[in-house]
Amino acid sequence: MGGVEHASLGMILLLLALLVPVLYFIRRAQSGTEIYVRRIAGIDAVDEAVGRSAELGRPVAFNTGLTSVSPTLYACLGVLSYVSEKVARYRSRLIVPQYNPEAMAIVEDVVRDAYRSAGRLSAFDPQCIVFLSESQFAFASGYMGIVHRERIATAFLFGYFAAESLILAEAGQQVGAMQVAASVSPEQVPFFICTCDYTLIGEELYAASAYLSREPIQLGSLCGQDVAKLVFFGLIVIGVLLATLQQLYPMLDLKNVDFWISYKFWS
Amino acid sequence: MERSFRSDLIRLVTFLGGVYFFLEFILPVSVLESVGVEALHEDISYGFIVFSSMAMGLGLINLFLVHGSRIIFQRKDWMYSFVLLIGLVCMMSSTVMDWRGGQGVADKARPFEILREFSDVIERDSTASREDVPPLEIRTEALRDATFARIAELRANIDQKTLLTFSDQEELYPLGETYIENLREILSGTEQAARDVKVGDFSSSQALAASLAQVSGFIRRIEQLNYDHSLTKKTYDFLYQGLFVSLGSAMFSLLGVYIAAAAYRAFRIRSFESSLMMVAAVLVMLGQIPFYVYISEDLPAVRQWLMEVPNSAAFRAIRIGAAIAGLVMAFRMWLSIESDSFSKERRG
Repeated sequence: MGGVEHASLGMILLLLALLVPVLYFIRRAQSGTEIYVRRIAGIDAVDEAVGRSAELGRPVAFNTGLTSVSPTLYACLGVLSYVSEKVARYRSRLIVPQYNPEAMAIVEDVVRDAYRSAGRLSAFDPQCIVFLSESQFAFASGYMGIVHRERIATAFLFGYFAAESLILAEAGQQVGAMQVAASVSPEQVPFFICTCDYTLIGEELYAASAYLSREPIQLGSLCGQDVAKLVFFGLIVIGVLLATLQQLYPMLDLKNVDFWISYKFWS
Repeated sequence: MERSFRSDLIRLVTFLGGVYFFLEFILPVSVLESVGVEALHEDISYGFIVFSSMAMGLGLINLFLVHGSRIIFQRKDWMYSFVLLIGLVCMMSSTVMDWRGGQGVADKARPFEILREFSDVIERDSTASREDVPPLEIRTEALRDATFARIAELRANIDQKTLLTFSDQEELYPLGETYIENLREILSGTEQAARDVKVGDFSSSQALAASLAQVSGFIRRIEQLNYDHSLTKKTYDFLYQGLFVSLGSAMFSLLGVYIAAAAYRAFRIRSFESSLMMVAAVLVMLGQIPFYVYISEDLPAVRQWLMEVPNSAAFRAIRIGAAIAGLVMAFRMWLSIESDSFSKERRG
């Protein structure tokens, strides 16, 4: 608990401002309203990437990096499910190296379900989900080994990555794999852009699952989070205006957005 | 039917867990304290650690299944699996032995720590006027007798050279002997402090407690010195520091080469964007090196502007977007709006 209180009215209102549009658009999407999602080249390339592995007769690797059980993992699972289903249909082979044992149990369940959906449950091999290590560089070296030994045709690098990102992506580059990456950590994005064929930046990772599945819930939530971003954008603009006014007219003693968000109306 | 019950149960537990952490975050600490959640929070957090430990077992089972079957059926590259499992078993055994060695060091000092704690307990109970414990005189006498007994036992061990076993570490003899001499002096002081303990005089029992703490600290130091030079510790250090950490550093150092290779690919001018990126990168690099003065005095300022304005703006945009998307995803997970989306069969 650390003695930090977050019970400010501003914080609660901000949470509502972020979440109400999401619920509203989910409801709208479920009622059949068409929701437009712009094209994302990296996600369009998923089918091509899986198809390539089937043509070459070499496996597909889906790497969730250092992602633990978190919203980022759930965003990756939507894509993993889609990729696994395609792999099962094309009778190709999937390898999912794992860093986090808790995430591994969930990943295995999702891949199994995807094979079942494709009607190829008997082809599902639980050993395709390989736990490597909980140590960052041991995981990276394990993945490099798999990429080189199996000569993978396609690599998906989706999730949270740190310093090992370039090592992972270079391994795929060395065997000529087609690589699609998506990272929420902006520090790793340049490495992926340099090394991978397609890179999804930041929130595009969260949009990928909605884009691929066209699920009303996911599409609605995607639309809702765009509105939530507008709320933030509005707050940034108001904050800049208030700060500028305060700078120009100090005698006004204007309180900025952060003051109102953290202001406690009760003690 | 069974599956439906299972998934409903999972949704319920997820929702209740979410409610708990949401309220824990949003409610003032005073409210949490009044309903008693503050005191329970640590235990609840330990529960998550227990779950994580169980998941670690899953990882181990997976490793043995995947690599064990590869070895048994001698599939392709089974030798790598063999080396991996041997490494795993060696490291696990070494870590367990190291843990036991550390416990052994602590165990040697434990009797004196117990006596020190006993001295504190006597004072605390007496100050609180507890009546459900033996009288103060009996407890003080017991503390004194136990202290004498432990000191006598330890002295006999030192005299018999069983406390220290620097058998194959000749260079440690002088240091070990000095430690033992110091310990003998502290033991004499502790004996005197035990004799001086008077019933009801807590300053004398506090002096004894301080002396006992000194003895236990010294025993730990001697035992640690002994253990640090044992075969168990050396094996563990060789496997962990010598192999594992070094191999990790070797992997990390690969980045130096890979960054150069990636930069070469990135800086090829193929489009307007890549040209822009190359120009920005060259300016940042030139602004970073000490020779910039030969090119332009303004380069560090240009570099700083590039890093702090366009670069920071892009970073913040990515971070805000990802954070909102993460929040929305977390919200969907909390209300289990997400869980049906992963397979078409469930969707239907």
